[in-house]
Amino acid sequence: MHPFIRTSAAVILLLNCVQLVPAGREFSPQIAGVSALLAAGMLAASFAGKRSSPAAKPAAAEALMPAAAKITADGTKHAEAVTLLGIFQEKGRLVDFLMDDIAPYTDAQVGSVVRAVHQGCKAALQEHFTIQPVASEPEGALITIPAGYPADEFRLVGNLSGQAPFHGKLVHKGWKVASAKLPRTLKADENRLPTIAAAEVEIS
Amino acid sequence: MKPQFSLGIDLGTSNSAVAIADFDGSQPRIVEIPQILAPNQLGELPALASALYIPHPQEFTTSAMQPPWAESRGEIIGHFAREHGALVPDRLVSSAKSWLSNPLVDARQAILPWASSIAEPKLSPLECSRQYLSHLKNGFLHAEAAEGRIWDLSECQIVLTVPASFTEVARELTHEAAVAAGLGDVVLLEEPQAAFYAWTAQAGKDWKSQVRPGDVVLVCDVGGGTADFSLIAIAENAGDLAVERISVGEHLLLGGDNMDLALAYTLRQQLEDAGQNIDDWQFLALIHAAQSAKVTLFSQADLPAVPVTIPSRGSSLFAKNLATTLDRTRLEEVVLDGFFEMTPVHEMPLESASTALQEFGLPYASDAVLSKHLARFLTRSLQNVKASESLSNLVGAQPDALAGPYLKPSAILFNGGVFKAEAVRQRVLDLLASWNAGTPIRALIGDEPDLAVAKGAALYGRNRATGTGIRIKSGTARSYYIGLQSSMPAVPGFKPPVKALCVVPQGMEEGSECLIEGQEFGLVTGKPASFRFFSSEIRSGDLPGQVLPNAERELEEISRIEVNLPLVSGMAEGQVIPVKVNPIVTELGNLELWLKHTASEQRWKVEFQVRMD
Repeated sequence: MHPFIRTSAAVILLLNCVQLVPAGREFSPQIAGVSALLAAGMLAASFAGKRSSPAAKPAAAEALMPAAAKITADGTKHAEAVTLLGIFQEKGRLVDFLMDDIAPYTDAQVGSVVRAVHQGCKAALQEHFTIQPVASEPEGALITIPAGYPADEFRLVGNLSGQAPFHGKLVHKGWKVASAKLPRTLKADENRLPTIAAAEVEIS
Repeated sequence: MKPQFSLGIDLGTSNSAVAIADFDGSQPRIVEIPQILAPNQLGELPALASALYIPHPQEFTTSAMQPPWAESRGEIIGHFAREHGALVPDRLVSSAKSWLSNPLVDARQAILPWASSIAEPKLSPLECSRQYLSHLKNGFLHAEAAEGRIWDLSECQIVLTVPASFTEVARELTHEAAVAAGLGDVVLLEEPQAAFYAWTAQAGKDWKSQVRPGDVVLVCDVGGGTADFSLIAIAENAGDLAVERISVGEHLLLGGDNMDLALAYTLRQQLEDAGQNIDDWQFLALIHAAQSAKVTLFSQADLPAVPVTIPSRGSSLFAKNLATTLDRTRLEEVVLDGFFEMTPVHEMPLESASTALQEFGLPYASDAVLSKHLARFLTRSLQNVKASESLSNLVGAQPDALAGPYLKPSAILFNGGVFKAEAVRQRVLDLLASWNAGTPIRALIGDEPDLAVAKGAALYGRNRATGTGIRIKSGTARSYYIGLQSSMPAVPGFKPPVKALCVVPQGMEEGSECLIEGQEFGLVTGKPASFRFFSSEIRSGDLPGQVLPNAERELEEISRIEVNLPLVSGMAEGQVIPVKVNPIVTELGNLELWLKHTASEQRWKVEFQVRMD
């Protein structure tokens, strides 16, 4: 599995676990927002994987490289996933937010930060992806899934038996990407992954 | 080669765009321009930020900053240039276009970034424009090639838009930049006219039912950095609608960027009142935040306020997070009442008290109230129309159009990013209605006010090349004059007035020329001769050869013109040769001034120079 997808999935899992704790529930909207963003990132990462056709790289220079930036055979894919992470960081400070320890802060503080993160990440998301719900019906509605439905768009759970059409309650409307427009990496470095955000130094 | 498609290029003060029109009758289409979005990242955006950044030699890896077609010098153009340059202002060139129309600056001199002390070579306003155009050209070809469409620009009719307020000097510089960028002999089109063409395309066949003979359409174009006004009259000609541009405004450096800045100042005051101080970096972030809060509030009429948060600069978002809110009352106070105040039509913009004390640089509008500039434009338009019988007849079809203190438009077409906000459009409609004794004027509905100019230009290119569709009758937007030294006895302490000879009338059409009779000049062989050059946008009645008694009072001085007379065979050096002025408007709409020997067919072209004060 793609490492970005794996990491993101872990973060989403973690965030959802937080919601199981009573104190964590107050952050539900924020957590939902961040989860959605990460999920979008995962989508993009899988998309990036499909787009590029990297050439296999020999592992000769591996010893020279710092471990964190090691690039494997599918280096370009990784570079593009990091680039996407960089976009969410630049526009919405997503990496800053997730790498921070939010435990010591009050809900009001977290809330105010999440507004900034939400605004920026949402703008980035909308700039690079056209996102649509999979099902147009309101959540909670009873819907019919016809025979031959796209299996990747609907996940049927519960008492699943018999033949399509299936009838059931729409629990989550799902999200899909209608179109994606991602920046391209000009020159992928064979030896190291790109930086998410450069360290900033003010020269006086 | 006969053109097979047309390209419209909107070279804007803050943003530029490109549209293409096939000759199959389909709608013009915007081509998104690839540009550097971040180091090592190339992506497409509908507009190219007209910003150029001169990096420090060690600042970036060159390959991380060069689009695939890049020239070798290393300047960065577009989105990243603007974003990063805001933090390194000494290295950022912005508003290069406005420098082209600054009569006090030589656009060929390397002066940008203005007032900067960088060690790297600076660029001239002309060179910056050339680089933007070159980026737009290559970006267009590259983006289309990536989609599998290969275009040959030698088969293209290219139309480049300029503000209606540009004088011939600024137009010629723009043309020169286009030639240097490899675009060939482009056709120039005034931006408000382009907006009108875009509207006809978008309204489809229906456009002729939305205007009627006698209508005067105000094209109100407020972009990021400039405001540009024009009036277009609709008349009837042999059963069809004839469209004529009858008046253009002055060059006005005032636009949406000023509004965002004003909002940011207001929000900074709010933060400071709450005891929070912000640094320069946070102020830049605040401008961005103010701009997006403005868009949110204007697009969601039921929202009373929008929170504005400026994250701290370090990696912890919690360290010094600044938060305030922009509420609707405040927004309306700043943007609507500040820039579109309901002033009476006789209230004119304040001139700055002393131009001598003004910091030398771009001549920004000293009065920020656009309503007053609009009032001035409509008042001067009336003066212009009244000066010519044919314009008066054209507009006079509408009852009492010429009565009253200003020229009343009967419809308005909005253009420019500022008018994406319905509330701003409504305020301008309210303002015009208040000047018109409460009677509202019609709004023509256009779309994408920030991209319409490029589309309209592409459409005009198609109409022009195929000879189909409408053409706005326009000709030269201004009249032009050569200064004449008065021959008066010298009196100490008294400067004799400079007389002005009209050499180009307003509305002189493409592909025409004339010879100014009655006034001969003496040129000395082997010596350069130089004249003062004036212009006016409100003297439609002046005829070629007419002499005005006082140029400095009536006209605007725009440049110096110079002709360098080579040694002519058969004539001794220092001999005086009598010449007449021979103005030509080329088929492409460029104005050329020639001095023609009275006794032969020999003639010499006059060059525009910077005005010397």
